[in-house]
Amino acid sequence: MNEHYFFPPASAYPLNRCLFMLKSDPGFCARYSADRESAMEELALDGDARAALRSFERDRLIALGAHPYLVFMAGLRLKMESQPTSFEYF
Amino acid sequence: MPVVAAVACPHTPQLLIRPDTEDRELVLRVHAAYATVKRLLTEARADVICIIAGDHVEGFFLNAVPAFAVYAGATISGKFGRYDYTLPVHEPLARAILQQGIEREFDLTYSQDLRLDYAFYVPLHFTMPEPRVPIVPLYVNVYLPPQPTPRRCYAWGRALREILDARPERIALMASGGMSHYPGTDRYASPDFEWDRQMLDALKAGRGADTARLTGEELDKAGNVELRTWITLLGAVGDARAEVLCYEPSWHHGNAMVMWPVATR
Repeated sequence: MNEHYFFPPASAYPLNRCLFMLKSDPGFCARYSADRESAMEELALDGDARAALRSFERDRLIALGAHPYLVFMAGLRLKMESQPTSFEYF
Repeated sequence: MPVVAAVACPHTPQLLIRPDTEDRELVLRVHAAYATVKRLLTEARADVICIIAGDHVEGFFLNAVPAFAVYAGATISGKFGRYDYTLPVHEPLARAILQQGIEREFDLTYSQDLRLDYAFYVPLHFTMPEPRVPIVPLYVNVYLPPQPTPRRCYAWGRALREILDARPERIALMASGGMSHYPGTDRYASPDFEWDRQMLDALKAGRGADTARLTGEELDKAGNVELRTWITLLGAVGDARAEVLCYEPSWHHGNAMVMWPVATR
């Protein structure tokens, strides 16, 4: 059994798809940043996934089956969207 | 023509987008090592760079997760932040690798429609010779279990070398990834630098074949799931002794750059 990167359970597919779109679909990431609730409506996310996404707490997302790398990069992309001046600072 | 260069490079996106979380001097030292690789590729007069990397769930999502894949389109594009890139692909070489890989019983996936992940782009951004040369993106699954075993990666690298040695092009081989890091986990801020250093010592001693005996669990534990790209390259370079161009441990990543002397083989 891997300690860190595990098989993504099928139950977490909508959540992983949301994280993937935050990471890789700049249009979705912008819509999510502007109006998170409406953006989450676009995907078939259940209540637990929506609550975990609102908190964006890593351990909570991973407990639901989110892939750790997707959590990491979705979070970085949201930061790149909200705090662009904290990048390319040298 | 033989393989004319073999290198391994890191690709952590912080090297490109330079967030305020990073140590400026460390990043610049890694950039200097990239410059050394760029010089090496230029002096080797490579016609093409075959770059072996893991896809960070970018080209392939959960719609399809190939263990090994070859991109065989004419060009490949991607985007990361403000970096918007399109690179030419050496289609004849990509097709030869695919065809002959299948003939050697490696059941490769291929695609002509993928977004190029930053794992490929970041090292090429810093090391692409001038004038630029086409690439062949070679995919190894590193992040989505079950990943290919180290033994299989090594075997694919050996087969790849046989295929490349019969080609007319001057080919540079690049492995992208590593070393220790744990993105998205509670170990992100504590990479296993000791494991990295022991591995680098083994590679400097020419013991690359030892990596075929690692287990997937061991790579995951050491934060080295991406070492599968190096192990594939090691299958191609055999017992050549590695020269470490840099090892820069940051707060989240063992940034390693390594070359293997292959031109005389």
